[in-house]
Amino acid sequence: MTTQSKHKWLTPHNYLSLKLWETIGTGLFNLFIFLMIFAYLFPMVFMVATSLMEGPQLTDRNAPAYPAKHVRYEYEGKTYPVYKVPFPNGEVRELALVEPGRTSSQFIDPKNPEAGLILWEGNRRPLIGVYEFHVTLNNFTTLFGALPLSRMLQNTLIMTIIAEIGVLLSSIVVAYGFSRFPLPGGDLLFYVLIATILIPEKVTLIPTYFFFVRILHWEGTWLPILVPFFFGNAVYIFLLRQNFKSIPKDIDEAAMIDGAGPLRVLFQVILPQCWPTVITVSLLHFFYMWNETRQASLYLSISRDIAPISFGVQNFQSLAPIQNQLQASALILMIVPVIVLLISQRYFMRDMVVTGMEK
Amino acid sequence: MTIRTTPRLRYDKRFGLLLISPWVIGLLLFKLLPILASLAISFTNFQLLTPEETRFTGLENYIRLMQDDAVGYVLFETISLGITTIPLQLVASIFLASLLSNPRLKSGNLMRTLFFLPSIVPGVAIFFMWIGFADPATGWLNKLILHPLGLTGFNNLFSDGAIAFLFSISSLWSVGPGMLIMLGALQGLPHEINEAARVDGAGPLVRFFYITLPLISPAIFFAIIINMIAIFGGVILLDRGNVFSGSFSPYDGYVTYILFERYDLGYAASLAWFFFVIVMFVVYALFSSARRWVYYPDRDA
Repeated sequence: MTTQSKHKWLTPHNYLSLKLWETIGTGLFNLFIFLMIFAYLFPMVFMVATSLMEGPQLTDRNAPAYPAKHVRYEYEGKTYPVYKVPFPNGEVRELALVEPGRTSSQFIDPKNPEAGLILWEGNRRPLIGVYEFHVTLNNFTTLFGALPLSRMLQNTLIMTIIAEIGVLLSSIVVAYGFSRFPLPGGDLLFYVLIATILIPEKVTLIPTYFFFVRILHWEGTWLPILVPFFFGNAVYIFLLRQNFKSIPKDIDEAAMIDGAGPLRVLFQVILPQCWPTVITVSLLHFFYMWNETRQASLYLSISRDIAPISFGVQNFQSLAPIQNQLQASALILMIVPVIVLLISQRYFMRDMVVTGMEK
Repeated sequence: MTIRTTPRLRYDKRFGLLLISPWVIGLLLFKLLPILASLAISFTNFQLLTPEETRFTGLENYIRLMQDDAVGYVLFETISLGITTIPLQLVASIFLASLLSNPRLKSGNLMRTLFFLPSIVPGVAIFFMWIGFADPATGWLNKLILHPLGLTGFNNLFSDGAIAFLFSISSLWSVGPGMLIMLGALQGLPHEINEAARVDGAGPLVRFFYITLPLISPAIFFAIIINMIAIFGGVILLDRGNVFSGSFSPYDGYVTYILFERYDLGYAASLAWFFFVIVMFVVYALFSSARRWVYYPDRDA
């Protein structure tokens, strides 16, 4: 059986059909993945579409899902909404409603206005309007008026830069210590490092909050958010340490023979070989900072003018804006991290995969 | 003394300690001391507004905790949240990773990035997006998905059923890090074993369950830990908690409520410590169970 079928596949004609099936299979597989991604990101489509809509479209039951506006027709100096009007003979005509009435209404035909008003019998309420594609940026202009977006953006940027410097410097140095130096207690300290990742935030929150707010009086400043980053982050230290360990010690020993001190070895020998991981870590922290609202709501709620953008946008909801302004604010908030991810994808995704492998 | 040993000596202990000292100081200042202080506070009636009236109350807070019906409720909610979302995320991340590591996939990196994308979108944006998407009056969930399928759809966004549904769906939206861990594990698999099994006549399902899954079990273990910590209120990688509670877990939300609505620091500390002990117990149980089901290649060697 097997030999027979193998023999059959080898004929040139069947080889071609095999190729054909391969191509169809690959095509279907990719189509499937594409549809999955579309379904997966569908709420984002909603967000973008809604943020580009005029307000009235949201409450209009018959309006299409895409941004659109009701077509209006100008007649004798005034504009009238256009509806799809069914007639007893089965014909459906697109007519502008001039004179609405309870049981009968007067319409005008935009294609033939000379014919004058048309009387139509029936309830006009269930009539479906005629819509055309229409995009507005009004929601964004309203948003820029209602929120100090540029200042919040500036706050987030400054905070991110300070936090990145702190967390990168301290995590790199600590990871270097963990990867190369004999430490008291052997691996014990490293296990403690891993264990700290598992501690729920709430158990440390109460004394920390009290200490920052009541003793140091840091409320209303960035200090309680930024200062802890200068003491390293356990996850980043872990990722960097794994990467440093993969670099052979022989190279740094060779540098030491040439007279380089340990810090020079770190910055001139090890780091140049690990910059993909360093960038991955800084991107992780960038995304974290952009997302941060919990610390901000603890320490910055009394001083809105130094609030970062995600906290500011979060508070925007309490002003009870209409849905499409809310979606516009969410879009503004997410656009920067999304662009950063798409630019860095080639390299961020690969390095994350490699780092994941080492665990 | 040869030349080779001289540089070795320069990795000395004191310099190593100096290098890790920022982390050690941070550990003492922001982890160990606060944890102990939390324990101390949990035995007092410390109130944020009247700190001078603080006195030692012994186990009073813990007795109150045992009698508080809300504690049982939020604990149950937190655990059921974990039991529903962790397996869901795990299965989804393995499924996605095996699809996305298929060599037939065109522009695979972009596809992986698009599945990863929601994981980096700020939680606030996700919250607004889902609330809007599921809104019965103006959203698309009823209009474009549930009604065309002939389902009734939600009338009230804040009913229990709707919230549970949205919770599970939105947990799939943070599947990114788990998916990357699985991708890394799948790409590290040796091809020979799978090939050998194929030659021996094992079908794709048998190969998946008897070869691939055991081989990636360390990654599964790691993903379970990460997702569990996220539910229990730790801060890991890109985690942003569950988008609907505005907090990580119902339990966390309750502690926040006691803390910032009641200003009852003593009681909040006892709640936090009680939860801390539970989490540590679960972590311990998970790590000791790992011996039985997680495969470590170097242990066999």
